[in-house]
Amino acid sequence: MKIDPKTFIQDYLLNICIQCGTCTGGCPVKFRSPLNMRRLVRQTYITNDPSPLFKSPELWACTTCSNCSLRCPAGVKNVELIMAIRNLLANQGEVPSTIRDALENTFLQGNPWGRFRDRRADWAKELGVKILGEAASETLLYVGCAPSYDPRVQNVSTALVKIFQKADLDFGILGKKESCCGNEIRRMGEQALFKKLTKDNTNLFKKSGIKRIITISPHCYNTFKNEYPDLTIPVQHYTQVIADLMETGKLKLSKALDLRTTYQDPCFLGKQNLVFDEPRKILTFIPGLEFVEMERSRQRSLCCEGGGGRMWAEGGTEGTRNGEIRVKEAVALGAKVMATACPFCLLTLEDAVKISGLTSEIVIKDISELVAEAIDENPITKFQAPNNHQ
Amino acid sequence: MGEIFVLVEHRQGKIRDITYEMLQLGERLASPQGTLSTAVLLGHNVKNFAEELTTKASKVLVVEDAQLEHFNSVHYQKVLSSLIAKYQPPLTLIGHTAFGMDLAPSLAVEMEFPLVTDCIDLSFEESRLKAVRSIYGGKVNAKVSLKESKGYVATVRPGVFSPGAPGEKKGGMVMEPSPLQEMIDVKKFIEYIEAPITGEDITQAEIIVSVGQGIGGPEHIPMIEEVAKSLGGVIACSRPVVDRNWLPKERQVGISGKTVKPKVYIAIGISGAFQHVTAMQGSDTIIAINKDARAPIFGVADYGIVDDFQNVIPILKEKAKGMK
Amino acid sequence: MNIAVCVKRIPKTAEADIFIEKDGSDIKKDHLVFYLNDWDGYAVREAALLKEKHGGEVTVITVGPEEAKEVLTRCLAMGADRALRIEEPPTQDSYLIAKILSRAIKNQAFDLLLLGVQAEDDNCGQVGVSLAQMLGLPHAAIVNHIEIEGDKAKVRRELEGGIEELTELKLPAVLTIQTGINEPKYVSLAALLEAEDKEIKDLGMEELGLTLSESVDTKIDQVFFPPVGKMAEILKGNPEEVVTQLTEIIKKKKG
Repeated sequence: MKIDPKTFIQDYLLNICIQCGTCTGGCPVKFRSPLNMRRLVRQTYITNDPSPLFKSPELWACTTCSNCSLRCPAGVKNVELIMAIRNLLANQGEVPSTIRDALENTFLQGNPWGRFRDRRADWAKELGVKILGEAASETLLYVGCAPSYDPRVQNVSTALVKIFQKADLDFGILGKKESCCGNEIRRMGEQALFKKLTKDNTNLFKKSGIKRIITISPHCYNTFKNEYPDLTIPVQHYTQVIADLMETGKLKLSKALDLRTTYQDPCFLGKQNLVFDEPRKILTFIPGLEFVEMERSRQRSLCCEGGGGRMWAEGGTEGTRNGEIRVKEAVALGAKVMATACPFCLLTLEDAVKISGLTSEIVIKDISELVAEAIDENPITKFQAPNNHQ
Repeated sequence: MGEIFVLVEHRQGKIRDITYEMLQLGERLASPQGTLSTAVLLGHNVKNFAEELTTKASKVLVVEDAQLEHFNSVHYQKVLSSLIAKYQPPLTLIGHTAFGMDLAPSLAVEMEFPLVTDCIDLSFEESRLKAVRSIYGGKVNAKVSLKESKGYVATVRPGVFSPGAPGEKKGGMVMEPSPLQEMIDVKKFIEYIEAPITGEDITQAEIIVSVGQGIGGPEHIPMIEEVAKSLGGVIACSRPVVDRNWLPKERQVGISGKTVKPKVYIAIGISGAFQHVTAMQGSDTIIAINKDARAPIFGVADYGIVDDFQNVIPILKEKAKGMK
Repeated sequence: MNIAVCVKRIPKTAEADIFIEKDGSDIKKDHLVFYLNDWDGYAVREAALLKEKHGGEVTVITVGPEEAKEVLTRCLAMGADRALRIEEPPTQDSYLIAKILSRAIKNQAFDLLLLGVQAEDDNCGQVGVSLAQMLGLPHAAIVNHIEIEGDKAKVRRELEGGIEELTELKLPAVLTIQTGINEPKYVSLAALLEAEDKEIKDLGMEELGLTLSESVDTKIDQVFFPPVGKMAEILKGNPEEVVTQLTEIIKKKKG
C-alpha cells in the first residue's frame, strides 16, 4: 500500500521540525529500543513513500507518554504521527499478535483482556454499589477495564468504594454495561474501533442521566476529557475528587500511616493533563505519612512504560525497564511506599519491584489504597510496611 | 447380528493405544447385545500385529495389501466398506485421531450410516446407539441419540477408556482377501515428516515447566525458562503458544505434540483443554498455576496456585536458584 | 484457482459463565458473544494467501441464522470475494449441514474446498470429510501446510506425537484446516465496515431441493455439566508462602 507522505506532513506538522532532537532526548524508551523520534519525523518528511519505514517493529515500543510532543519547541505532533502510522498498520492487519488479541477482545468483550463481559462488575457484588439503570445517581464511577478485571487493581476499585461510602458521596457504576474507554485502543492504532467506543459510551452516559464522571484510570480520564467529541459531561480523576472531599472536610482520616512515601506521576494524569497537585495534597493529608519527592517528578517524571498499548505489546524493548529504574530511585530516597494513581503504573511498578528483588524494601500502592487504609482501624487488605531488618 | 468392528490403528510399526482402548469398549458394548467384537486389521506384513491382537479380541479380521502399508483413507475406506457389507457390524469403532478423522466421516456417508464423533461414552438402548460427547470446549457434555439404523460409525476420544489387561483372550484370526485392485491415484501417501529436535527433548525431562496462552505474551518466556533450568528441567508449552510462534513446535505438549510423563509438571497459564491434558496426565505430580480458579486444569492437577503467575514466578525464580 | 471456504458462527464460551436451558436441550446463549470459528479463520486466511499466489476467487459459505452474516462480512474483510448464507435447519446435525453444503457446491467449479478441522462449539470434526464424500472428491483432514503444484495439492496432515504426513491429492479436493497453518491477520473495524457494503447472497433450503423437516442422524437429548472429579489441593497464603510450599513439593517429588 502506497502512502502519500503529504498527508502526514500536513496533519502532523512534520515540515516545521527543526531537527533539534528534544523529542528523542526526552523519549523514555530511547535506551530500550531503536525508536528515534527525530529520525522518524525527518525520514517521513523527506521520503516519497514512507511505507517501508512503517514496518519497523520499534514503532510499537512508543508508550505515547507524549514527552516528545509536549517538549517540542516547534509543535510537531509526534505522538499523533505514531498513532497514525499504527492506524495504517492496523487497517492493513499488520499488528503484532498480542495487540491483535487485545483489539479483537475489545471488539468482542469490551475489554482488551477478553474477559467475559458479564463478569465486569463481579468485584463490586458484595459492596452495596448502585448499578445505574437499576438505581439512579448523578455521579458515575467509571471503573475501567483493569480495575474491573485485574485482581490486583480490583483492590483499587474496592478502596475507592470504601472511601466514597465513608464520605457519603452518592455514586453508581454501569455494571456489565460498561465498555472499554478506548484510550489505549486509539493508541494501538484502531481508530475506527475507538470511534465506535466513543459513540457507544457517550450514548450510554447520556442515557444514564449522569451529571459527572469519575474515573479510576488516568487513561480513561484523558480520553473522556480530550478525545470524546460529543461528551459534555464533566470528567474528574478520582484524585481530584478525594482532594476535594478532604479539603471540604467530608472525608476525615483517623489512622496514622507512619510511612515514608514517594509518588510516581502517571503520564496521562500529570504531564498530559497537568493534575500534579491533587495526588500530593492527598498524600500529605494522610496522618503520619512522610511525603518525599523524587528528583524526576511532575513534568519530568519518568514513564513506567505501561501506556500506548504497551500492556499488550510483546517485547520490542530490551535492557533495564524504566519501572526498575524508578523503583530503585524510590528505594534510594528511603521510601517504603511508592504511591501512584494509575492502574498501569501500579502493575508495571509492582512487576519491577519483583524483578529487582526489592519486595522487602518497598511496596507499590495506589493512593486510593493508602487513603482507605487511613480511614479506620479495619483495613480492607492486610497491609504491612516492608521491613529492612528481616 | 454381526459383531462390533474395532478398527486397529497402527503407524510406523506400532499399534496405537487407542486400539486397545476401543477393543475394551467394543467388548463392553457387544455383550449386552449378545454379540462379540472383532478387531479389524488392515495393513501390509502385519502378521505380528494380528497375533498380538488375538490375545485382546474375540476375533481378528485381517486384510493384507501392499497398498495398505501406510494409512490412506481412500484405500482404507474401500476395504472397510466391503468388509462392512459382508459382516454387517452393528457398529464400527474408529479412533477420533488424525487417522480416524480422515476416514470415519466419508466411510459413514458411503455406507449411509449415522456417525457420531469424539465420543467419551457409548451405549445401546435397544438397538439404537447413544453417545456422550464433550462440547463447548469441555464446558458441558451432551447425550446424543442416533437415528435407527442397521449400522453405526462412532469415533472414540483417545485416553478416555482404559485398555484391557494383557493376554486375556484367545481369539481366532480370519484372513480376508483384499478388494483393492488397480492403483488409486487421487490421494497418495508420500512420507512421514518428523521435525528434527534442535533443542532439548522434552519427553526425556524429569521436570517440565509448561506455559499456555495465559502468560499473555512471549516476553515472559525467558524468565520462566530460567526457572525451568534452575529446577533442572525444561520449558514446554500448550498448542496456542506454538500457533503464536512464542515457542517452537518441538516444545508442544499435547495430542498433536509430545506426550510427556515427567516427575513434576508445572502448568502455567494453561486452561487444561483435553488435547493438552491427555498428553501430560501421566506425570507423577502436576502443579497448576492459573489466576482463574475455574480453569479445568485444577481438576487434573495435584496442587494448585490460584494467582497471577507474575506474582509467583519471580519469587520462584529466586528460590529455585541452586535447587537443581 | 477458485476456492470455497465453509465457515460457522459460534458462541465464545472459553471465558464465559455457562448455564443450561431449562429443558436441557442446549446451553443458554443470550449472554454470549458470537464470532467466526477459530479454525475457519485460519481456513479463510489460507484461502486468501492461496489467492494471492495463484489468483482466482474465494467464496465463503455458511449455514446459519441471519446473524451469521456477521462472520461472512468478516471473511469478506479478510479477502473473500463472494459470500453465501444458507438458511439454517431447525436441528443442528453435522450430516445435514454437509448435505446442505454439498447441494450448494455441486456443479460449481471450485478447485479447492477448505473447512476448519472442527467447530469450537460442537467439536464434531465431521462436516469437511463428509462433504468430500458427498461430492465424490478426495480429501485430507487436519492440514497444516498446502502447496499447489499444477492439478495437485501437496499437503501436510498433522498427526499425533508431533509427526506430519505428506500427502498428495488430485484437485479439486477438500481440505480441513488446522490452526497454526498461517499467521492470522488483524481485521480492523474500518475493513469490516467497508466489507459491509459487499453483497451477501441468501439461499433457502427449498432452493437446494431440501425441506426444513429434513431428517437428521443425531439429536442432542440433553446437555449436562461434566461430573466434578478430584480437585487440586490449592496452596494457601501470600505469594511468598505459596512459593515456599511449592518448592518443598518440587524438592520432595523430584526425588
